[in-house]
Amino acid sequence: MLKSSNPTRPTTIDELLDPRLVAKISQLDLSSRKIFAGKLKGERRSKKRGESVEFADHRPYSVGDDLRHIDWNIFGRLDRLFMKMFLEEEDLSLHIVIDASASGDCGEPHKFFYMQRVAMALSYIGLVNLNRVAVTALGTRDPAVAPLGEQGIAGAIRDLRGRRRVQDVGRFLCSLSPEGSTDFGRAAKRIAMMRRGKGIMIVLSDFFMKEGYETGLRLLAGRGYDLFALQVLSPQEVEPEIAGDLRLIDIEDQDHAEVTISAPLLKKYKQNLSAYCEDLRTFCARREITALTVRTDTPIETLILDYMRKRGVLR
Amino acid sequence: MTFATPLIAGIVAAIAVPSLIILYFLKLRRAPLEVSTTLLWKKAIQDIQANAPFQRLRRNILLLLQLLILALLVFALAQPRTERENAGGQRIVIMLDRSASMASTDGDPARDGWSRLDEAKKRAIELVETLKEPGVLERCQADEAMVVAFDAAAEIIQPFTSDKRVLADAIRSVQPTDAPTSIGEAYRLAQAQRPTRQFTDNAGGTQPGQTMEIDGLKGGPSYTFHLFSDGRIPDAEVFQADAEQAGEPPSFEYHMVGDPGAHNLGITALRAERAFDDPNTLSVFVGVQGTEPTSRSVDVELLVNGTLTSVREVTVPAAEPAEPGMAARPGSGGVVFELTEPRGVTVTARLAGIANTPGNALRADDEGVLIVPPAKRSAVALVTTGSLFLSEALRGLPLSRFEIIAPDEYESRRVSGALAQFDVIVLDRYLPQANSAGAVLDPGRYLVFGAVVPPPQGVTDLGEGPAGQIIDWRRTHPVLRDLTLDGVVLGKTRPVEIPDDSGVVSLAESAEGPAIVEVSDGSVRALVATFDPAQSNWPFQVSFVVYLGSAVEYLSGSVTDEGAGSRQIQPGGVLSDRLPDDATDVRVELPGGRSQELVPGLDGRVVFGPVRDEGIYRLRWSGTPGATDTVEDGRVSREFASNLLDPAESDIAAAEKLGLADRVVQARQATSGGLLELWPFFVLGGLGIMLLEWWVYNRRVSL
Repeated sequence: MLKSSNPTRPTTIDELLDPRLVAKISQLDLSSRKIFAGKLKGERRSKKRGESVEFADHRPYSVGDDLRHIDWNIFGRLDRLFMKMFLEEEDLSLHIVIDASASGDCGEPHKFFYMQRVAMALSYIGLVNLNRVAVTALGTRDPAVAPLGEQGIAGAIRDLRGRRRVQDVGRFLCSLSPEGSTDFGRAAKRIAMMRRGKGIMIVLSDFFMKEGYETGLRLLAGRGYDLFALQVLSPQEVEPEIAGDLRLIDIEDQDHAEVTISAPLLKKYKQNLSAYCEDLRTFCARREITALTVRTDTPIETLILDYMRKRGVLR
Repeated sequence: MTFATPLIAGIVAAIAVPSLIILYFLKLRRAPLEVSTTLLWKKAIQDIQANAPFQRLRRNILLLLQLLILALLVFALAQPRTERENAGGQRIVIMLDRSASMASTDGDPARDGWSRLDEAKKRAIELVETLKEPGVLERCQADEAMVVAFDAAAEIIQPFTSDKRVLADAIRSVQPTDAPTSIGEAYRLAQAQRPTRQFTDNAGGTQPGQTMEIDGLKGGPSYTFHLFSDGRIPDAEVFQADAEQAGEPPSFEYHMVGDPGAHNLGITALRAERAFDDPNTLSVFVGVQGTEPTSRSVDVELLVNGTLTSVREVTVPAAEPAEPGMAARPGSGGVVFELTEPRGVTVTARLAGIANTPGNALRADDEGVLIVPPAKRSAVALVTTGSLFLSEALRGLPLSRFEIIAPDEYESRRVSGALAQFDVIVLDRYLPQANSAGAVLDPGRYLVFGAVVPPPQGVTDLGEGPAGQIIDWRRTHPVLRDLTLDGVVLGKTRPVEIPDDSGVVSLAESAEGPAIVEVSDGSVRALVATFDPAQSNWPFQVSFVVYLGSAVEYLSGSVTDEGAGSRQIQPGGVLSDRLPDDATDVRVELPGGRSQELVPGLDGRVVFGPVRDEGIYRLRWSGTPGATDTVEDGRVSREFASNLLDPAESDIAAAEKLGLADRVVQARQATSGGLLELWPFFVLGGLGIMLLEWWVYNRRVSL
């Protein structure tokens, strides 16, 4: 919760991606409750009945069907025409949205560094499994620094595929620093318009957005993307360790609140925080968005190998 | 519990408490702290404050504790206190008996020469020390005390105050006197300080709800009387009389000083008389009283003008022992000295050889002094056209000179000033001519019959009236107290009216109004019988001759208002006499040798007193001497003797019980009391809560 006085600023990919973690996550692949169409066939089964070699089902012939797919063996036995249906295989997009606003520059362990490492690990999994990977950073920036900075997008790389691109993702993530505020609604609209195809979208953020996260998530949830919201909180946000009479200053908009820390106030804060997280989960559940809240003192391995697999993001 | 200074505390509280709360709102210099978002905090604050501005206060135990500390300190500032006896500031009257018997030297058996008054003063100061102190900043709720010293008269030594130092100084300033004891005046003096009780008319009278006051009915809280005395008080019943008026009896404490077993021997009577037939023969009677249980003989010395002339032994019988309900009755004896002494002399009687013996605790009554005037006779002139009754009656009086003057001759002598040789001029049915101011009487003493002295000196003549009788007369007047006017029938009355604000006093009245009046107008004094005695049966009555004799004696100055001839004053009484009109530079010499200037009144009257001590008081002035006065070094001297001569006072055994007519107050030996100041406890409580607050604060900070 407190702004980190000495935040970790990664400069190389090795800082983001621990080789021991690489060893553990190399066997993982992305998963989706839906099977999505992609441009590169053969790599991935699609939910669409299509042209793969793997049989899926039969259905009665209707006029106009491709004669090549009629199951002649059944015709021979039953004297009726049935169509053989096969699973279609297609590739998968992985779109990671990382919140690079100033609110990430807090906590011990550092929130943004944690998000960077998670984004790096997920990108690695996506890339080694030959998925199409895109990374977008949220956060308002000066347009001179980032072309879409005014619309709340601090930077983006797209259409990466294959192990060789891991370095590109690492460089991009290292170039980010948590600054400015968020404009999640406009940024989500922009992202939704820019993305192509279908796949998995993972949003890494603390979701502490004064303008509200609802509009943005609603925009991102459409268009055939399987949306995954990962809320990252520092331990200090969950269990504040402050006392006395304080003037709390919002790191993003310099808004302030004067508080006298007391046991009832802390209790109320915790109630509000859990209610806020619960609201987020309820909102996501209604829109088939998978939501997960994680503290930054949770090891990345636990998050990826345990929590995300259990929620069907990875397998 | 009472507060000494609630007002100050209230003011401080009114300032400090809001200040503390305001400071609490303003005091926070909050430490700035950057957080990822204030979103949740703001919600939490909003929830917790719930729009109630004082919610923050209610939840803030630190402020509550601070307010508690402040409250305790404010309470401490109010100086709360509890006392063991009475609530509120009570009013105490300290009555110190300074009468002659209090000079007895048995105040403390362990201390030689320590008188009862010394002991009483010591105990009174101890009582003052136990009074409730006033507050530091305010004079309220403290006990107040008044110091009254009394003998025969009473004097407020110190009005009500709570200043103990002033009270102790006042008590120390009380000096013993040789006067007898009377508590009545002291009590009335103290009660006069109380406000008059107010009544509200609720009975549906003419003006319902109106308050009224009745003189003599006192309101307000009753006083507590502390009497420091040996209990030799003959008039203690005044307390009961007041208790009936005041509703509740005054609370009364009697602090006995002196030894109930003390004994005394003293002169209680001293009287000198000249024989009526032979004025040169002087008899002096000395009465002696003793309280010892055995009879005792004592020598009485008689000194004339300071020279011992005679010694006689007197046997004082044993005192009768006390019976239940009765005090012991002292034994008394007496002796008469006879001597031939035509001069005016000073006669001193004293008990010889007992000054320091046991059984004589009081010295004041061991000696008595009398001023005996010379065997004096007056010069009288009768101005008449012929009156058998008056001339014959006056001729029969023992006068030094008597002359009958015709009115014409009177007028001529008046012009030449040859009338000053007469002490009294008797005017029979005649009035001198009025001078330019309208006054008919020149300065002098007159006895007037059958004429009305007109204003401005006298009364308004209303003409002749019907026949009548003397129906009332002033029996206390020196001239009239030895006679009766019962059988006097007047053939013709002469009604008069006494003008308002005149110096005329009616001495005898008929049914028609004043019949005999006394005119005292500065230098003129006259007794005026408005009716003509020749037209009444008065000349045939004994009272006529007695009246003439008394009037001549009275007017010639050998008799004063106070008593016959002896010039005696009891200590506690007032020295009062009339001097010749031309007396100037009047001084009174006191027994101790000091002297004091006196200013005579218009009629030559001088007043000094009350007299405190025994001994000879000498009035000295420049001017003409009176008939009995002596002249030394060109200044006239007139002497007065002051003696205790009080059997009750000479019986000095201290009374252990004081009868107040309706109750008996036991002597009280020790005093207790004192106050418990509570403010240190409040300050300590404040400190304790401050420690608690510090602990709570630390606990809160280390959440």
